[in-house]
Amino acid sequence: MSATTPIQHGHSRTLFWIAVAVSVLMFAPMAWVLVLSFTDNEALSRGTEAAFTGPYTLKNYTDIAGNSGVFRWFVNSLIVGAGQTAGVLVLSSLAGYAFGRLEWPGRKVIFVIVLFGLAVPEQAVIIPRHQIFSTLDLHNTYIGLMLPGMSLPFGVFLMTQFFRAIPPEIDEAALLDNATRWRIFWKVLLPLTLPAQATLGIFTFLFAWNDYWWPLISATDKDMYTLTIGIASSQVNFAQTEGLGFLAAQAVFAALPVLIVYIIFQKHVVTAVSGGAVK
Amino acid sequence: MKKLLLTSAAVACLATGASAQTTIELQRFFGACDSDYGDNTDVSAAVGECGIITSLINDFQAQNPDITVDVTTVEWPGYDQLNAQLASRNAPDVVSMHYSVISDYTSRNLLEPLGDILSEQGIDTSTFTDAALAGVTKDGQIYALPFDNWTMLWHVNLNLMEEAGLLNDDGTPIVPGSTDEFFEQAAQFKEATGKPYLVQILANETAAYTRLFYTFLMQQGVDPFTDPNAVDLTTPEATAAAEFLKRIYDEGATTTDMDYPAAVAGFSGGDGGIGINGTWLIGDYAAQSQEEGNALSDGYTVYPLPQLFGAQDATYADGHGWAVPRDPRRSDEEVAAIGQLMAYLAENDGEWARTGHLPAVASVFETEEFQSLPHRDNIAEVAETGQSLNPEVRRQFAIQDIIGEELNSAVHGNKPVDEALSTAQQRINDLLASL
Repeated sequence: MSATTPIQHGHSRTLFWIAVAVSVLMFAPMAWVLVLSFTDNEALSRGTEAAFTGPYTLKNYTDIAGNSGVFRWFVNSLIVGAGQTAGVLVLSSLAGYAFGRLEWPGRKVIFVIVLFGLAVPEQAVIIPRHQIFSTLDLHNTYIGLMLPGMSLPFGVFLMTQFFRAIPPEIDEAALLDNATRWRIFWKVLLPLTLPAQATLGIFTFLFAWNDYWWPLISATDKDMYTLTIGIASSQVNFAQTEGLGFLAAQAVFAALPVLIVYIIFQKHVVTAVSGGAVK
Repeated sequence: MKKLLLTSAAVACLATGASAQTTIELQRFFGACDSDYGDNTDVSAAVGECGIITSLINDFQAQNPDITVDVTTVEWPGYDQLNAQLASRNAPDVVSMHYSVISDYTSRNLLEPLGDILSEQGIDTSTFTDAALAGVTKDGQIYALPFDNWTMLWHVNLNLMEEAGLLNDDGTPIVPGSTDEFFEQAAQFKEATGKPYLVQILANETAAYTRLFYTFLMQQGVDPFTDPNAVDLTTPEATAAAEFLKRIYDEGATTTDMDYPAAVAGFSGGDGGIGINGTWLIGDYAAQSQEEGNALSDGYTVYPLPQLFGAQDATYADGHGWAVPRDPRRSDEEVAAIGQLMAYLAENDGEWARTGHLPAVASVFETEEFQSLPHRDNIAEVAETGQSLNPEVRRQFAIQDIIGEELNSAVHGNKPVDEALSTAQQRINDLLASL
């Protein structure tokens, strides 16, 4: 009974080739950047067809390594990314539990206020935020780089939805066993939200890693640059013509850690997204 | 015990005095190139903006061991970062700045006038070129050390011009002297080579349109900013300049759909006869012309933009300078160190001129080193004909984008020329009124 009909087989084959075509389209720009990163800048300045003919070189990567600040910026990005991710997971889980599982006065109103945060673009708050951080002397500090990203309305919303989707009988059973609210949260419910936390963690880390604008205006001391700001600052003027291979190498260098994180946690992301889809 | 403490304190004081080190923070664009020039102090061996400025700072520190220059590089142009630093009272001591944005900062009293600092170092401001001095002078005060002038140029592929029969007997290109001559030559060029006359940046770019537009207004003797707080683009001269740009496009006298890198590579590859691009490309194109087997081999030269409109020979020019943000906490030693750095940079302006930018110090034009650089004698007149906008005009970068966007619409036929100009005028005046 499990044998496919010729029509089903034809559909599968069509879908397969569509998937292949889409994959090639998605992969082509990345492959292009990778090839450019190994191509000589001078040859590229006369035409990008040099990517197919060479000469090829590792100089673009040795130039990155030769910048005295690049490893410091790398570590800064790791610290900010990890710190911001940890902060978002803690705050969003606690807030999600409070909004999704507990009854308390004003819960709905405050939840709506939190959701309003999704509609407020960063540009709208950047000046007062910069002034507040100036007053508190938080610019050019790790905490100053992490704090704005920790208040993530999307994270609160996501975790609230996950906590709500867990059957209430689980809490009731734990309460019958005299478990405290904190114990129910920590020992019973939190482990059930791990797929959501993995997703939220990856998205937060990617956001923190790629963030440009806030580090640009908050981290003005070069020792506090994140990788995105640091590599942008090292681009020569007119780099798109005189240093195209170097630009591509920078892009590859900056993307590698993110790619590794994504590959490691890919299973959790798929689980969370597919889990959310069938709920 | 007391004796021991006093002795220790005296030794410490002596040690501190002996190693008195003044640190100044310098923030600049031009990129980072530590791997090639991180330790280089031989400025003459450096090439490119990044290499030369890095080597200049290294050499300055080697010559002044009591001064440390802490360099921070920022992504071009770096003004978002500078604004943030000024807001948090954390600005650097010296910062690279385009002449065209100086008024944004002087209007808010954020820059230090440099007259005293320069005179204390014996820098005579009359030694700067007129174009450079005008660029850094606001309300009679100098607010930056002028470092160069740059402008758009007429890069010529002599091989294609020869094919088109557009060379003089001495091998120099025939340069149009009016818009009519321009279109005659463009038609002749296309007929002979099958290629468009110009290689222009027309995609993802606003600055190129605006710089040409300003140049053609200046050539007609028009200053659109007689009132620095309101632009007037409803003049016949503005219409003529915009119509000229549109006609170039409509008649196929230019490459189309090329962004900046495509236009640079397009001229290298012989896609057209004349490349409209900046001073900074002279070195690259001259080097290509020395090699065999490419479109520019033995066939490249460069001139200022020709005078296509009647009133005067003029070219819009901007430049790079070194400004000093105000900081009441700055010590006398730091001010003196800044002055020494300024003096060093002015003395070595000739080295910077190897980037392709025109010197800000007039005497550099007369030096053998400068004159031996390729094609510099052709473009030296820009030091006289180069003009900036009215220095009182603020937000010149934003204005450049507005004019470029509207001209782009007009050239591509999305808007009538008059509508594009009136929209640009309205947007600019709204912007200036909101300041």
